Amino acid sequence: MPVVSRLAGIVAAVAAIAATGVAKAEPVKLTWLMWSGSEAEVEAWKHVAGLVTEEHPDITVEFQTTSFPDYWTKLPVLAASNQLPDIVSLQAQRAPGFVDLMTPLDDLIEADGFDIDAFDPSIVEGLSRDGERFAIPYDFGPLILYYNRDLFAQAGVPEPKPGWTEAAFNEAARALTTGDRFGFAVSIPDAFMTYALSTGAHYLDEDGELDLTSQGMVDAFKRYAELVSTEKVAPLMPSSGTQSSSMAAARFTSGNVAMHVNGPWQMINIKGKSGFTVGVAPVPAGAAGSISVSAGSGFGISASSPNQEAAWKAIKVMTGPKAEQYLAEQGRAFPARTAQQSFWYDKAAEGVVGAREGIPAAIATARPYATTPAWASVSALFEQYAPVAFAGSESPEEVLETIQALSDQ
Amino acid sequence: MTSDVIDTRPWPRAMRAGLHGGMVLLVATFLFPFFWMVSNALRTDAEIFAVPPRLLPDSWEWGNFSAAWSYLPFGQFFLNSMLVAAAITAIVLVVSSLAAYAFARLRFPGNGGLFLLYLATLMVPQAVIVIPLFLMMSAIGWVDTYQALIIPMAFSSFGTFLLRQFFLTIPRELEEAALIDGATRLRILLTVFVPLARPALGLLALFTFTGQWNSFLWPLIVINGPEHATIPLGLTLFQGQQGIEWNYMMAGATISMLPGFLLTVLLHRFIFKGIAIGSGLGGR
Amino acid sequence: MAQQIARPSLGHPRVLDRARARPAVESYSPTRSDPWTALWFLLPSLLGLILFLVVPLVASLVLSFTNWQIIGQARFVGFSNYVNLTTRDPIFWQVVANTVLFTVEYLLLNIGIALGLAVWISRLSWGKRFFRLAFFLPTFMPMVGIALVWQLMLTPRGLVDGVIALTGLGLPNVLAESTLALQALVLLTLWSHVGYNLMLFGAALESIPESYLDAAAIDGASGWQNFWLIKLPMISPSLFFGTVLTAITTLQAFDQVYALTRGGPGSSTATLGYAIYNQGFVTYKMGYASALAWILFALIMLLTIMQLRLQRRWVHYDQ
Repeated sequence: MPVVSRLAGIVAAVAAIAATGVAKAEPVKLTWLMWSGSEAEVEAWKHVAGLVTEEHPDITVEFQTTSFPDYWTKLPVLAASNQLPDIVSLQAQRAPGFVDLMTPLDDLIEADGFDIDAFDPSIVEGLSRDGERFAIPYDFGPLILYYNRDLFAQAGVPEPKPGWTEAAFNEAARALTTGDRFGFAVSIPDAFMTYALSTGAHYLDEDGELDLTSQGMVDAFKRYAELVSTEKVAPLMPSSGTQSSSMAAARFTSGNVAMHVNGPWQMINIKGKSGFTVGVAPVPAGAAGSISVSAGSGFGISASSPNQEAAWKAIKVMTGPKAEQYLAEQGRAFPARTAQQSFWYDKAAEGVVGAREGIPAAIATARPYATTPAWASVSALFEQYAPVAFAGSESPEEVLETIQALSDQ
Repeated sequence: MTSDVIDTRPWPRAMRAGLHGGMVLLVATFLFPFFWMVSNALRTDAEIFAVPPRLLPDSWEWGNFSAAWSYLPFGQFFLNSMLVAAAITAIVLVVSSLAAYAFARLRFPGNGGLFLLYLATLMVPQAVIVIPLFLMMSAIGWVDTYQALIIPMAFSSFGTFLLRQFFLTIPRELEEAALIDGATRLRILLTVFVPLARPALGLLALFTFTGQWNSFLWPLIVINGPEHATIPLGLTLFQGQQGIEWNYMMAGATISMLPGFLLTVLLHRFIFKGIAIGSGLGGR
Repeated sequence: MAQQIARPSLGHPRVLDRARARPAVESYSPTRSDPWTALWFLLPSLLGLILFLVVPLVASLVLSFTNWQIIGQARFVGFSNYVNLTTRDPIFWQVVANTVLFTVEYLLLNIGIALGLAVWISRLSWGKRFFRLAFFLPTFMPMVGIALVWQLMLTPRGLVDGVIALTGLGLPNVLAESTLALQALVLLTLWSHVGYNLMLFGAALESIPESYLDAAAIDGASGWQNFWLIKLPMISPSLFFGTVLTAITTLQAFDQVYALTRGGPGSSTATLGYAIYNQGFVTYKMGYASALAWILFALIMLLTIMQLRLQRRWVHYDQ
């Protein structure tokens, strides 16, 4: 993507926006690619697309979809053949690999007086590179600890709350582990990264390169792996076609693990499927405190789109207060707009203990989920290799070295 | 491993009973995953990972089937899959029969080399050709269409190879007589080879249909939404960013097996009541 | 469609020796050579093949000499993908070894079991259709469904664990154990694909003329002789087809690896097919993935040519 034409595109877009109100807009048909996982979700996104047309009768947004795991196969293929949709959905931790395909939004935000401060700053940063924003967030969330209140009550273990320490967590995990049940379920890499950050370790070096083999990381991974290998307070889940976080959630809702770490976007699913009372809390505090990563997603404009201006208008509606409120009430998203988060607490997290205290506490100390452009591959390598350490067939240190070596290739 | 039991010299009865008993046990084990699939399709999601595992659901959730059906536009996926698999099968049958006849019976320079080329195209891993293929589709504007699902997939050499193997076993006297009568090659293919090769054609139809019914990577790349999505693509939509609907997935997989099952029942006669080649016993 | 054909009756299995003496493909009837007819017959398939397989294949060969990452421009890098693969990639040789091991083991088991079952079923006096259908059933199931069922069965403290615990064998978690995970994959693949060859061999056995077997029975051939001297040669074209095709598809194994293990634990179940997908669609190194694909292509080619050479020794066409 030559810089010159990109600049030209922005200038044209800005000029066009400045000229709105003067010229009557032509009807525009935009395409938007988004992941989804059910008919209900598809309907929700189509409703959001409909909001755009409500606001701008001359713009229609055509919704295209695949499942979440497949989205990341499809997107580069579309890019390769110059078939990218006008509006591209991006998840913060996978975004770095796709930034070059996107229109930088700073000038548009500037020219429009768009209030970017209405969004949570950590996810705005997560969808930027070198301070330049390339997507407007619609949802986000720090990873939080979900726990099964009934099991805690049965075992007579005090419930987690903000400020909970790793020592208390370990104790609870042991107490909650019985013959058929485990105290905790590990998942990788996201939940492990929060664990590592909380111990004070860093998985990226100062230049933002992957650095898994520092002493801090090795110690953190050793402790994390021991939960499975020697402490046996968490089940050994082999790498499989199902992401470990989904596996952990499934075992949690079945009531055979008492705690696991996941994002607020899983709330509706977990709450809906659990036959017990669900509680949430910030992740346990290690030496560096309770530090979560804040992940989330947003919408951007593909640099190759001929409809820059209309796409920008659409994105403003799709991440606007109305859309955010709707998504929050549907439980589809924990809104990136801070003002709309209350709707999520009222609807999606209704009856979940600790949500109103735990999640804001987690947000307060969360860091943007910083990743590398090849994060999808790092993630896949963790899924493949971490179980080797969990099973105790190789030392955690060797496993991290292998992942590092394969990522550096 | 079984050995061949022959009627003229029966084995000791106990041994035979043992063999058959073992086989029945094998089949039962073999079918177990299906039982597990259906059993899991009828559970609540929470029961799926219950420890210790239970053979049967606690509460029989028959509603999962209709829920799975409405959770996604499953009917649409079903029709799409049907259309695509049937169209590909039809094209494959025609194109492969022609090519297989040429390789089995016609003399032309480079027969062997060309056949190797046909075989070579079977050795191409799909993962590497999907991108060039996709670029081609987007160049002609076929992305997200039925023809993109059908046409590029309808020229596998699998059928050519399978039918050639079969045609080679057909006694040559059969066509020599017809040639002397002045029949064209095409006519011979249609009147002599096709009827004789019914089992092979039936097999080819069955293999092609089931293979395409389950094809995943290409539809994923070339289809953009539920409108033209096929069943395997649809099933993956049960795995969202918001978790997996295990029980719906199992119900969906169960439903999606029906057409293949029916087709096999239908084609079984066709394949196994074929003409015993060269036996002097005509088929029906 | 009755075709009453008079054939010399065969009094003895040794009749087949005649066929054995003949080479396979070259034995054309002394009809005229007609390249034009052949061209018309081959045209549809040839056009399709060239457009949808040969062209993309050549494109992938070109790509294998570039550093194309799907997004952005590609640069020619000569043979460096191939050099890196074979000398610097830490897991390449492990992946090749996995692929070859998996293929050899699976091929032997598949052909053996499919043939054994097909023979057994063909001799049953009842229930043929039921048994064939039972073994063919898994082929209707989409891989994503198969993988989930097997995951559920093999999940820690799940069903298989429970059964193993009952037997007191105390096997470890199957999918978390390098050697066992590959075996689980072989088992799953057998379960899901053995039906194809079973059908194929079954159809071939079914089309052996009764008269041959009757004649042999009169000659007092034993069951084994019957199998070795008549059935096996008679179905050898189908057997050959099944073996070649199974080898080709198994070397490309991807679906089941992707769905069940994602190559883990570690890289113990990563096959070439999976590595190609992984490099191409997860790390987006399409150039590198194309180089991998061509190495795989060469491997398959080699094996297939070997099988084609060997077929003259044991495959019998047109008795």
